[in-house]
Amino acid sequence: MGESPETRAVESIEKPVPDLAGVRNTTLRRLAKVGLFVVSLFLFILAITLMKEGARDLGPVVRDRFQVTNAANSLGFGWLFAYVVMSGSPVAAAALTFFDAGIIDRLGAFAMITGSRLGASFIVLFIGFIYVLRGRNRSTSLSMGLLSLIVTGTTYLAGLGVGLFLLDSGVLDGIQLRSGAILTSATDAIFDPVAAFFLSFLPEWALFVVGLGIIIVSFNLFDKCLPEMSIKESQVGSISRLVYRPWVMFMLGALVTLVSMSVSVSLSILVPLSQRGFVRRENVIPYIMGANITTFVDTLLAAVLLDNPPAFTVVLVEMLSITIVSILVLGLIYRRFNEGMMNSVEWLVSDNRHLAGFMVMILLVPILLLFL
Amino acid sequence: MHILICTGGSPHSEAAVRLGGYVAQAAGIPVTLLTVTKNKAGQVHAEAILERAQALLPADVEAERVVRIGQTAEQITRVAIEMRQDGKQVLVILGERAHHGLARRILAPTVKRVLQRMPGPVLIARGKVSPPKRLLVCEGGREPTLLQRLMAQLEPLVAQADALTVLHVMSQMAAYPGVRGWELRADAEELMEAHAPEGEILEEDLEQLDQLHVYSQAKVRHGLVVKEIMKEASSGDYDLVVIGAHQGKGWERFLLDDLAQEIVDLCDRPVLVV
Repeated sequence: MGESPETRAVESIEKPVPDLAGVRNTTLRRLAKVGLFVVSLFLFILAITLMKEGARDLGPVVRDRFQVTNAANSLGFGWLFAYVVMSGSPVAAAALTFFDAGIIDRLGAFAMITGSRLGASFIVLFIGFIYVLRGRNRSTSLSMGLLSLIVTGTTYLAGLGVGLFLLDSGVLDGIQLRSGAILTSATDAIFDPVAAFFLSFLPEWALFVVGLGIIIVSFNLFDKCLPEMSIKESQVGSISRLVYRPWVMFMLGALVTLVSMSVSVSLSILVPLSQRGFVRRENVIPYIMGANITTFVDTLLAAVLLDNPPAFTVVLVEMLSITIVSILVLGLIYRRFNEGMMNSVEWLVSDNRHLAGFMVMILLVPILLLFL
Repeated sequence: MHILICTGGSPHSEAAVRLGGYVAQAAGIPVTLLTVTKNKAGQVHAEAILERAQALLPADVEAERVVRIGQTAEQITRVAIEMRQDGKQVLVILGERAHHGLARRILAPTVKRVLQRMPGPVLIARGKVSPPKRLLVCEGGREPTLLQRLMAQLEPLVAQADALTVLHVMSQMAAYPGVRGWELRADAEELMEAHAPEGEILEEDLEQLDQLHVYSQAKVRHGLVVKEIMKEASSGDYDLVVIGAHQGKGWERFLLDDLAQEIVDLCDRPVLVV
């Protein structure tokens, strides 16, 4: 039976009128994000090119002034460097350019990248300190930063041993992802003239510094072009109320960080998931562990752009070693590990002296490593 | 309501029979004693087990005996479901031998399999068994509340309690340094006064218990859920710990962690899973 004209008329009245202005705004916003992504990618490639050029001239400074000659002091150097620039990714990229220029060896690059992550995990704790200085509660402000730092420290230091073994054995040397001749010549054609322009009025070593500045800017722009996270509406959006299986949170942490590329950004994404900005203690550690693996995706991209197969292997070993350690922890000792980490955080925030001792330790250890 | 006590004749099964006897006596309800044998050859032994079990029950508790042949967890669930189809609310009671670590994961003991299959409440006898007079109800903070579910299924158990503690564990922490969070340090009183979501649930529970004239108190602990429940269970002199069953339906069940199973594994005293 066909519809009567009356029914059609009523339906046409009841149909919601599309909000054209809203649709236009959303489309414009999405286009702006795509544009921002292209700009940040351009800056990222430019930065890698400049750092690669400039690193060659920095050999004597890095080796003689900072004494970066072995794995231990490379670890300390990467760690301290990340404190200074308040980010891990630029330091990891710098480690690859140093390796590409022959300033540090494979083990040194691997250790420096590990150090960069240890230093970067200090950022959330540093932000927490600012809140404490502004009068906020110590435990609330510092717990997440401390947890992020000690989980990262524990897994990365264990991963260091696994990684050194993998690097030594050379089992991953055959797995490569190359940028390809066409892409390499295209990037050379675009970015070499820019490098030449900077070289016309700057010394070669200064290209590294300019590149480092540009890469920091590019990572900030990457953060701004993150897609709107839809996990709030998804099943796992309720991580402030429900306790998920550790594997679920591990995968979620890895996935979110694959997009955001930064552990601290991934953690900040958890805040709007609950009105009060809470997250279940049980859910946090596996999330951080997952995030700690895919946070290397930008370093992997930097290795591809450098077109240096051993550099690619170093990053791959880094990711694989952390994955192995995380899987072992989650599969075998997760409950005890979780309790141990939480107890450590509680102990640290329970007394100013504990906290001060810990802060001195995380400052002194990388400095001591530098002198080994 | 009806009580289904499952026994295999072992010491831990006998603890289940004694616990079932206490509950049945206090609530004035009949019990069914069930034993499962692998084949017909075990029938005589099974009858002897039930005979011994009945002798452990208080004299005034009416008991029916049932022997089933087959796989234990499957038969327990089947009998319970058959009883539910008769319109009875069924409480399954069984004991558990301690399994640890890898053995527990591989063997999947009867209790674990029954908990996975049973749609209704299951009471696991562990450790020292005594009449359930002091109850610890671990409120999860979702609607309907655990107490409401407990009352709907086993009101006589609540009504005969001398004291009941409603515990809520806040395992939340601030997701980022800038988050304010007085709730993360608040006790039960403060949460109830401020009408925080957790406080509302605790207040609702206390009001309900007031109407039953059961002495009750609310407690809030901060920390990992399982660890804090274990701490509270061992710090108070509780006869029974009541927890919610593993929640979620369909694939959500695979996303959520099974805290109920973990508590059952670790608790040193009887646990009721609702």
